[in-house]
Amino acid sequence: MAKHPVSLKVNGDEHDLLIEPRKTLLAVLRDTIGLTGTKEGCSTGDCGACTVIVDGKAVTSCMVLGVTASGKEITTIEGLASDGELHPIQQAFIDTGGYQCGFCTPGFIMASKALVDENPDRTEEEFRFALGGNICRCTGYTKILEAVLQAAEEIRTNS
Amino acid sequence: MSDYSVVGKKLPRVDAVEKVTGAAQYGADVHPAGMLYGKIVRSKHAHAKILSIDTSEAEKLPGVRAIITQDDVPSGRRVFATDKVLYLGEPLAAVAATDADVAEEAAELIKIEYEVLPVVQDVMESIKSSAPRLHGDETKDGPNRRDINAKIKELSSDQEDDNSDTIRKLKAELEQYSDEVYYNISAETHNEAGDVEKGFAESDVVVEDTYVIPRVHQTYMEPHVSVASADSSGKITVWASTQGPFAIRSGIAGTLGIPLTQINVIGTTMGGGFGGRFGVIITHVPAVLLSQKSGRPVRVQMTREEEFLDGRPAPGCVIKIKTGATKDGHILARQALAFWDSGSVSGASIGSTIRVRGVYKIPNIKIDAYGVHTNKSGTAAYRAPGAPQAIFAGESQLDDIAEQIGMDPVKFRLMNMREEGDAVPAGGSEPKVGYKETLEAVADAAGWWDREADDNQGWGVAIGDWTNGCGPGGVYVSVHEDGSARIFHGSMDITGTDTAITQIIAEILTVPYENVTIRRGDTDSAPYSTGSGGSVVTFTMGNTAKLAAEDARRRILELAAERLNTNEDNLELKDGAVHIVTADPPKSISLGELAAYSLSTTGGPIVGKGSFARQPSTPALAAQIAKVEVDPDTGRTRVLKLVASQDVGFAINPMAVEGQIEGGTVQGYAWAMMEEMQYGDNGNINPGFVDYRVPTSADLPTVESVIVEVPAPNGPYGAKGVGEPPITPTLATMANAVKDAVGIRVTELPIKPEKVVEALKNNGHGA
Repeated sequence: MAKHPVSLKVNGDEHDLLIEPRKTLLAVLRDTIGLTGTKEGCSTGDCGACTVIVDGKAVTSCMVLGVTASGKEITTIEGLASDGELHPIQQAFIDTGGYQCGFCTPGFIMASKALVDENPDRTEEEFRFALGGNICRCTGYTKILEAVLQAAEEIRTNS
Repeated sequence: MSDYSVVGKKLPRVDAVEKVTGAAQYGADVHPAGMLYGKIVRSKHAHAKILSIDTSEAEKLPGVRAIITQDDVPSGRRVFATDKVLYLGEPLAAVAATDADVAEEAAELIKIEYEVLPVVQDVMESIKSSAPRLHGDETKDGPNRRDINAKIKELSSDQEDDNSDTIRKLKAELEQYSDEVYYNISAETHNEAGDVEKGFAESDVVVEDTYVIPRVHQTYMEPHVSVASADSSGKITVWASTQGPFAIRSGIAGTLGIPLTQINVIGTTMGGGFGGRFGVIITHVPAVLLSQKSGRPVRVQMTREEEFLDGRPAPGCVIKIKTGATKDGHILARQALAFWDSGSVSGASIGSTIRVRGVYKIPNIKIDAYGVHTNKSGTAAYRAPGAPQAIFAGESQLDDIAEQIGMDPVKFRLMNMREEGDAVPAGGSEPKVGYKETLEAVADAAGWWDREADDNQGWGVAIGDWTNGCGPGGVYVSVHEDGSARIFHGSMDITGTDTAITQIIAEILTVPYENVTIRRGDTDSAPYSTGSGGSVVTFTMGNTAKLAAEDARRRILELAAERLNTNEDNLELKDGAVHIVTADPPKSISLGELAAYSLSTTGGPIVGKGSFARQPSTPALAAQIAKVEVDPDTGRTRVLKLVASQDVGFAINPMAVEGQIEGGTVQGYAWAMMEEMQYGDNGNINPGFVDYRVPTSADLPTVESVIVEVPAPNGPYGAKGVGEPPITPTLATMANAVKDAVGIRVTELPIKPEKVVEALKNNGHGA
């Protein structure tokens, strides 16, 4: 299959790539660039494990073709910590035990980050509803919500 | 309660940073140089003869490097179907190609000719003579025929008397039970204690119902995956997402006839398992075969759809159950007849039917259970395998009895619970278990005793018991010159078990928790370890870790005595150093100094070894209370409160234990309210998250967990396995709450809104 030139800015790094038009952004991130922190849980956009942030918005990268992401700014789980410092959301997931097997965690953290960046003042119920696109099978969500609320509180306080 | 400094504390997990930064390596993250992508070719029919498999077109596709069918399995063990397929999605062949999309294209180019056969998906249809046979014509007798045949056999062997008349009568009676000749039976199990007929006769209230529990999928978030690499010497390396690398090693060896030492299994970080990640042939064996044939590493990764078609989910079942009790609340007898849907192979958890007994003193009990073949994939364990199903039937029916005799459901349960010293049906006597403490704790925490409910609101309670397993394990611990300790072992971390092991060793060696690190070896390097399932890990590896740390401690004290010129009796290991107890001024030597000193001694470095296999476990109880509101117009049930308590023995890491309770409870909630693998005329019809709904954070409120600690005599620090119990009572908890809210006894899960609306129209009947 003919390949197309694509330029992606991922976690601040420029990548000029040749990719087949049928490859999803998820496949490009994982297989071409080698950023395997983003997970594939369903390939149908239902579980949220592949959530990344594209131009400030959380998207399920299994539902986006790589070629359509050309020129966009993408943040993956690998790009969240800076200078060896975990992002407050990452730290909150650790403090509260907001993860177990960890497979859904990158997606949850990215989805939470987009939500908290957009509006950290949501109530627990609003966060519960807004995170409805991500599935976790281990935690029962109790500690994930604790983590998101803790991070939102910290971000509110520091902003 | 404890004087401990590390165990019993809510410490962050040892794998915390790798899990929140995306650094953890799961199976699909493994990518050796030159790796090919595998794809399994699956049956398009639920039951069909295979007339031909033509791979010629697929072979021509550029990028295809290997295609395998059952002809490529030298041992002849069934990996792919040959003569007939028994379920939709059954593997027929596999392809390896240079690209995942090419592999998929090639799989579609393989032509398979089928002759479609009649399909049976329902256990109650499958046992009938009219059903298509999946494996043959052998039949089994139902309970009444078994009893009559046993009597006939006994009388026939009696040489003293002429029993011919009685035998003739019994044979005539046998005819009345012709519908008890069961077909398509994969397994059976029978238990009996006391005399149930007598028990029912003496009961004031007898309730009988049939409960239907659907097949549900474990739905671990990481689909099955395996990367295999066979080198030119024949050595095979498998990166496997599995709960039990050693079981996978022996499974591959057995299936393919390869010596154990030729196989190295590297367990990758596991994206959930819940019992469903022990399968050998699902992806591991095809990956090995493809790698052997192509000479390249091969990854076989399932899609979510493939998970639903060819995973090994929890069996559904039909349980006919009957309970008798006196009007003052004593349960006298319980009988159950269960048909478990084992799919195309045997192996459903039919033995768990005995869980209908619960933790109650029931003098008379009789259980007959059958595994039944259907045109579905085989099944596997799912968190306390078989218990949620059996306990749903038992605990639902218990509430109906309580209602009929006018007794509070919590009090009714409390008064019937077995107590310490009571005879246990399986033999021996009941150990000290926090049965009552756990139920009382949840009742208090939920506000049961002064509960209030508005219209269409209700409260439900249920309890579930489970006992953790046990198995072999080995742990090494080394102490280094900087005073740190390193643990080495071979068991898969199952959401926090590495952390528990680390806490135990830090506690004993008095090394700061953050200075103890843990490494998991592969099957080539690590000591044997039992699989991480059956709530075994903290119990088994915790005990093993304790032994290893105590062994290291012995060497530490020996070295210190030598170094400090004193007797070991004068020494104390505390705060990362060995102190002479009686010395004034105080005299001590740090672990780091001792480790450095050890390198030039005759005895050598500080290495503790722990090896452990078996000790009796103690049962655990989970008790839950839900408050719900049912909308009578839409039938939708909303959870207002869900409280879960559990006797965990001792919580080595309370944060991790709470996580297990919360997660297990929500899985139970989902089985009660949402989840159901559905089957049409040609197999599974809901193989994806749109049609198979698992809960999201939007579906539930916060689950409140309550930890109860009644120590287990043989558990490390009294700990019991905590993973499985919390799923066991939730199905009944929810059903009992719905019953309390709107008067509908749902006997067939899940409690879907349409079912509730329909039942309300029929005045509470027909759910």
